[in-house]
Amino acid sequence: MYKLIKNSLTNQINFVERLSDNAYIPFDPANTDYANFKREINESVAELQDADGNLMTAEQAKQFVKELP
Amino acid sequence: MPITLDGTNGITTPMYNGSITANAVTPSVNMKNRIINGAMVIDQRNAGASVTALNTAPYTVDRFYALSVPSSKYTVQQNAGSVTPPAGFTNYAGITSTSAYSIASTDYMLFRQVIEGYNIADLGYGTANAKTVTLSFWVRSSLTGTFGGSLSNTSSDYSYPFSYTISSANTWEYKTITIAGPTSGTWNTTNGVGIAVTWSLGTGSTYSGTAGAWAAGFYGSATGATSVVGTNGATFYLTGCQLEIGSTATSFDYRPYGTELQLCQRYYQVTDANGSPVNIYPGTPNAYANVFLSVEMRANPTVTFSNAIAAGGSVYSGATGAVACNYATNQPPTVRSVSYACSRTAGNFGASDVCGHTYVRVLTSAEL
Repeated sequence: MYKLIKNSLTNQINFVERLSDNAYIPFDPANTDYANFKREINESVAELQDADGNLMTAEQAKQFVKELP
Repeated sequence: MPITLDGTNGITTPMYNGSITANAVTPSVNMKNRIINGAMVIDQRNAGASVTALNTAPYTVDRFYALSVPSSKYTVQQNAGSVTPPAGFTNYAGITSTSAYSIASTDYMLFRQVIEGYNIADLGYGTANAKTVTLSFWVRSSLTGTFGGSLSNTSSDYSYPFSYTISSANTWEYKTITIAGPTSGTWNTTNGVGIAVTWSLGTGSTYSGTAGAWAAGFYGSATGATSVVGTNGATFYLTGCQLEIGSTATSFDYRPYGTELQLCQRYYQVTDANGSPVNIYPGTPNAYANVFLSVEMRANPTVTFSNAIAAGGSVYSGATGAVACNYATNQPPTVRSVSYACSRTAGNFGASDVCGHTYVRVLTSAEL
């Protein structure tokens, strides 16, 4: 399970929390955890919460990931 | 100018009216050995504790991960079994099989190090000028027979399976494998996956290939290699791992401990915010701080927080004293620093709380 996190300065969503170990993962294509996050969402292996903690549907999550770098 | 090279004095060359001598055993500060932490000395994450191999590939000693598909077929622990390492070494990665597991065709049990592209860029892989490399290592197993491993590329679609023989059980043996450079395949030469060096502990037929030749596809081992995980309690100990240019294995490239640690810290580092300044927002539960990383990381890192230091998980202000906090990044971490928020677990900071100190351990990972 992942949760989107807002940047406190810009209020933009540009990193995600992996809830299993409270790891904060930046949206950096070179970051291996980020690559795994995108793969797990695309393969419906993991679920994604929005920044308010609401569970996104699999399709919403995939659409969000599709627009990431 | 004459230069003398001998096994006692190393390199000697006249200079002015005297001479300079480079001792042959001077610790290296170069990168002859492309494998980092090949002597298994640094274990930042686990400090000698055992790690169970999983399909998520947890890291063991620094830079080496334990992939087990399916999960939990072996463990890895620095100096497991407390045997005497080979002469010149103080540590090894100790792998122990946790069951007598029969490998299925698509299973793979791989102990690996992935080398960053920047550190193999000079090998010219994938070009006509690809250089020959030699892999050398010390291995000790309770089993004997033919064992396997591989080198593979960025996309795991081009591999060189290799095999080696362990002749005597429970005896350290030195192995060398010379590998001609691949003139094909895609090889990252920046901050991505350059080469994956793999020691197999059991690999199914789907991912086993003919030893001694580059081949398209991913192969973690050589066909017919011994499965360590096939014997409950079997041990496989490894140290002195070195990958170097050339067709001959040379002595292990001992780098200074601090240098080796810094090389590891590019991929994983532990930073203690131990009394670091924190900006408190009065009337809210929030305070903000940052830490600067001691080594620039390979990529913007994944961040976790730990309370495993004195007063860990607290913020101290002169007006209120110490209060417990939860920690989270509040901005995306960068390769050089982590900015984070400390939020009181209950209540708000008082009007007189403006600045203070934070106590937390910040763990950053940018592994490949």
